[in-house]
Amino acid sequence: MGVVLIGPALLLLLLVFLWPMASYLWLSFHAQNLFTDLQPVPVGMLNWHRLVLDARFWQDAAQTLRFALVSVSLELGLGLAMALLLNQRWRGRGLVRSLTLLPWALPTTVMALGWRWIFNDPSGPINGVIAGLTGSTLPFLASPSLAWLAVVFADVWKTTPFVALLLLAGLQMIPADLYEALALEGGSARQALLRITLPLLRPYLLLVLLFRLAQALGVFDLIVVLTGGGPASSTESVAGYAYLNAMRFLDFGYSATVMIGMFGVLLLLGGVLLLVLRRPARA
Amino acid sequence: MTVSSTISSTTTSAATALQLEGISRRIGARTILEDLDLTVSPGECLALLGPSGCGKSSTLRLISGLDSPDRGRILLGERDITALPPARRQVAMVFQSYALYPHLSVARNLSLGMEIRGVDAATIARDLDAVLELLQLGELRQRRPADLSGGQRQRVALARALLRRPQVFLLDEPMSNLDAQLREELRPQLRAILCGGGAPVVYVTHDQQEAMGIADRIAVLDAGRLQQCGTARELYHRPATLFVAQFIGRPQINVLQEPDGSLLAVRPEHLHAVREGGLQVRVVSREWQGASQQLQLDTARGPLRWVCDGGRSIGDAVRIAWEPQHEHRFAAGGRRLTA
Repeated sequence: MGVVLIGPALLLLLLVFLWPMASYLWLSFHAQNLFTDLQPVPVGMLNWHRLVLDARFWQDAAQTLRFALVSVSLELGLGLAMALLLNQRWRGRGLVRSLTLLPWALPTTVMALGWRWIFNDPSGPINGVIAGLTGSTLPFLASPSLAWLAVVFADVWKTTPFVALLLLAGLQMIPADLYEALALEGGSARQALLRITLPLLRPYLLLVLLFRLAQALGVFDLIVVLTGGGPASSTESVAGYAYLNAMRFLDFGYSATVMIGMFGVLLLLGGVLLLVLRRPARA
Repeated sequence: MTVSSTISSTTTSAATALQLEGISRRIGARTILEDLDLTVSPGECLALLGPSGCGKSSTLRLISGLDSPDRGRILLGERDITALPPARRQVAMVFQSYALYPHLSVARNLSLGMEIRGVDAATIARDLDAVLELLQLGELRQRRPADLSGGQRQRVALARALLRRPQVFLLDEPMSNLDAQLREELRPQLRAILCGGGAPVVYVTHDQQEAMGIADRIAVLDAGRLQQCGTARELYHRPATLFVAQFIGRPQINVLQEPDGSLLAVRPEHLHAVREGGLQVRVVSREWQGASQQLQLDTARGPLRWVCDGGRSIGDAVRIAWEPQHEHRFAAGGRRLTA
């Protein structure tokens, strides 16, 4: 009976998730490129050997990881601050709540085009300000050390509201009388934050962390539009590299290997995070 | 030294009266409380009784500092605490919801307040053990609130209030989430634990049985105004307003319109049958209640309720009367008229 009831959901999951994953895994043991006339030919571990030795893959993996860790940390910190602020009572809160969601509602490509203009050297508005102050401009999108920060900045701008929204929902689940009880016991606002808010927000923080990490590790559209992965592939993500292999080099077998390899890294990371964070706070 | 005296020793030493002077509270155009005066002596338990929305819970919030009055003063002994934040009032409150910290065990729920106040570890351990024993919570100390029954949660909330060593105890309908039988069992225990310490106790309830069972005095509130404050006997025998007369006593007091526009009230249990004279009535319906039966009567002066022990049947014609000392007379506005 139980199997029948979850059947439809299970079928959907198999169809849209497990089946593509399985066929990609299968493809990673095949060559399917221009040399094989785009037909899959079994090659054993060849793609995997290539992946292990592929410096560009490891560079992209490190870049993607750095991007994900830095931007998700910033988003969690800023999103938490924003959620705490929006959870207080003040005039105009409703309006601000709606306004803060705007960046998140904007399509990524549109906002990435906007940021490309804002970061433009020398005619973007940021460089306009910098030129006014210092007389010179900064090559935000043309310098490897600045371009990845520009990507992080744009991503934080776009997704912090989403984090704030989820955390706000969590904050609103905390009954007000817990704070009143703590205040009557002599607790300060800081103690309320540490003793009540953060522990009770923990499941929401974990949820947001997993959500955002999974999304950030698969980052693609933002980078393609903002920097195109450049300069000198210094902002290229693993997803971008897989896309490049499949769509530019028409090497579908290796592209699948890159994707599955990254999926393995993701799985490992997610598992570790769950193990570390899911343990409930010690009673 | 007994367990309960260990917990209550500090409250006894600093016992002072709680006094509310001319407290008013408005929210927007709505009057929550109007010119409320109350005094609760050390060790006294005062029940705030009234229908929902009468201002009884608002009064607790004002005493605790979770809300501030628009006018009036709150005094603890000689000290004016009206402007003090809740954290510095040394007031403990048992919430209707109990407000236990859901992520902490019973023991941590109880010790958190002491940790925050910087109590040393040895004292925390000693007081915790004492209160756990007093309220028979020892075996539950590692449980989370979600794994406790309603009665157990209430005991944890009470234990937390005791550990605050408060100068005032506030209880906001602490029994409303418990079943009727448990409520009756707990009343004497609760009274013994609360009133032994010497701090004034303010107990909010909408249940007159509970108020009578637990409180030394009862303050009846209606629409933000104090109707009467006195012992249960005073409220029952000399209600100051028609509202109090109708609120206290079950079944509800009978009210008869007098020719001069004033109102005459007689309790259903004070009517009795007479051979001659009195009022001619007919029994319309009856409810058998074991020791007595409750009758609905039809009379020339309107319907009446009568609690009697005789075997009356529906349709019976009877003559009833009452003793003059059981009459309550009220002006049309509800004020008591008779001395």
